[in-house]
Amino acid sequence: MTTPAPAPDRAATAVVARVEHVTKSYGEGDGRVDALRDVSLDLRAGEFTAVMGPSGSGKSTLMHITAGLDSATSGRVVLGDTDVSALGDDELTLLRRRRIGFVFQAFNLVPTLDVSGNIELPFRLDGRRASADERAWIDRLVGILGLGGRLAHRPHQLSGGQQQRVAIARALATRPDLVFADEPTGNLDSRTGRDVLEVLRAASGEHGQSIAMVTHDPVAASYADRVVFLADGRVVREVGRSSAADVSAAMLALETVA
Amino acid sequence: MTGGVSLRDHRASILVSALGAAFGVALLLVSHLIDQLVRAATPVGPDGTLSTMLGAVAAVFVGLSLFVGAVVTANTFSTIVAGRTSTIALMRLLGSSARDQRRAVVREGLVVGLLGALVGAVLGSALVVVAVRVLVARGSLPDLEYSYLAPVALLPLVAVVLTTVVAARVGSRRVLVVTPLQATGAAVETPVEARRPRVLRTVVAVLLVLAGSALLALGVVTGLTDATGVVVAFLGGIVSFTGVVVGAHAVMPRVLRLVGRLLGRGQVAQLAAENALRQPERSTRATIGIVIGVTLVTTLSVALETLRGVIRGLVDQDPEYFAQLDAAFTAVLLVMACLVGFSAVIAAVGMVSDMSLSVLQRRRELGLLRALGSTRSQVRRMILAEAAQMTVAAVLVGLVLGVVYGWAGAQAFLGTAAQGRLIAPGISVPLLVVLAGGSALLAGVAAVVPSRRATQVAPVVALSTR
Repeated sequence: MTTPAPAPDRAATAVVARVEHVTKSYGEGDGRVDALRDVSLDLRAGEFTAVMGPSGSGKSTLMHITAGLDSATSGRVVLGDTDVSALGDDELTLLRRRRIGFVFQAFNLVPTLDVSGNIELPFRLDGRRASADERAWIDRLVGILGLGGRLAHRPHQLSGGQQQRVAIARALATRPDLVFADEPTGNLDSRTGRDVLEVLRAASGEHGQSIAMVTHDPVAASYADRVVFLADGRVVREVGRSSAADVSAAMLALETVA
Repeated sequence: MTGGVSLRDHRASILVSALGAAFGVALLLVSHLIDQLVRAATPVGPDGTLSTMLGAVAAVFVGLSLFVGAVVTANTFSTIVAGRTSTIALMRLLGSSARDQRRAVVREGLVVGLLGALVGAVLGSALVVVAVRVLVARGSLPDLEYSYLAPVALLPLVAVVLTTVVAARVGSRRVLVVTPLQATGAAVETPVEARRPRVLRTVVAVLLVLAGSALLALGVVTGLTDATGVVVAFLGGIVSFTGVVVGAHAVMPRVLRLVGRLLGRGQVAQLAAENALRQPERSTRATIGIVIGVTLVTTLSVALETLRGVIRGLVDQDPEYFAQLDAAFTAVLLVMACLVGFSAVIAAVGMVSDMSLSVLQRRRELGLLRALGSTRSQVRRMILAEAAQMTVAAVLVGLVLGVVYGWAGAQAFLGTAAQGRLIAPGISVPLLVVLAGGSALLAGVAAVVPSRRATQVAPVVALSTR
């Protein structure tokens, strides 16, 4: 098997998030299930990283813990220079509000707010309006994502793809340290899905946004700079940018080994 | 479908029907007892008028609380049905018909009604028996061989069961529009309830309000020269208030929006204001019972207070006589207010349950807000603001209507006594204190359980696909 070329060197290779020996177990004794076993992983600044693995591989759990949505049984997660595992609920909330962006598979938007209300939600939760500089960035995002004519629409008036674009605009609006995307194309048809992936890739490639995406779709993973494979709660492999076919092959290899 | 009725869902509805049944049984037993007392005191022989009159008065109050209870229960059922959409869709997918599904819900209504009636009957009778024992022991009542067996007390029980079943049927209308496809659906966000145009209903409501207001005005004008104006005004009050209740779907959302603006422009306040309005019909039904209760209590209080002011002017020279009258007034007001206010209690139970259910059904959205950076205290404040918005809106509408009705009634009744002049409405401080205190209490109670649940929602909930 050919080893794909490593990700191209970037100016910024600083680490935005570091997962150190994280283990996550549920239950006790005989009923104990290990979702993650001693996982260590660095997410680098400006990089678009895909985390792949079959169902039950622990990829969602890994993301939840890295984003401070769930706590590890042991090990720690450092975001920038903040030890996420040591934070209390309110500090974690502020961390999510100011330094992390989220794009989910479904149900991304608050149904009672219109598009601009949803995009500005993180600022408004902070009790402020976007500054002139942030405003300009939001306007640019809205333009890039083609949401200009939809700002006063409510989520239920939008198609799935449009909703996902709004969610991406919201996630990028605060220029967070890291954007987490959980199966962002899972609910979209393949064309709309590709558009969304292009947007994410551009955000990382052109604007230096660090992104971590969990997916089980090889096509989605092929848009990333780097693909990390998880199986049985462990990091089993890592490749640089790869074609969908190569990612598929790697996944299949994992399935046959397991 | 094996009718596995989950009573957990129906705790609020059982409480509501039990309260209605207890109230009805107690009221009819009390009038039965008063009848016995009167018979014992007047050896001449029974005269049916008093017991008929008492029965009629009791019927009005019981009917009122049952109506409010039915509105509350219909609302609770429709909320529960909304929460069960995916289960109902699955049953439809597996071959159950929409009518079967609805029938199952109505059957739950029957069980709820029967249980409520049973609990209420026991509670109501026990309350009356204990109260009589206590009063007899204290010497306030003569020690007679009281009979507590009043067949007529069965009527409210039957009525409770019937109204609960009807309410379950009305509330389960939504079952019919659930498609089997919804079972297969990936998580689709519940859209804001489609606003059904209610043209006919709105027209009827507007006509009732207009006609009623005209009668009310006519009553006031007639009352300037002739005391029978009060009858016209009373009729006008009933007609126009019926109009308000029928047209509540058009009135309450507007008032809620107005009150929502008063909450401020912060994100938390804005979200809360939108939440209270996202299902206008549900919010309307959750608040209208409180409007009814507050309107009636305020009407009574303002009418009596206005009356009292006029009488005070008339019997100025005889303070002792006035003091006696005043005590009688207060007693009448208290008893009437309690009887009318009971429907407000039932309505309050409904609002609390509405808030709890709506928080349960918004778990994913609450998770999303938490994931995006809402703190627990922001979520808590949002829920409290929602509860406050509904309470304040309902109490304000009730207060305004009550002042108008109470004043109009008193004016029509006393216009001649005041030599054809207009009288200022009497608004008593205790009324305002009770309303303000009651609102604060209700908003607090309606927020406390839901906000505890809401803050326990983990942000991860937003990420789950179902």
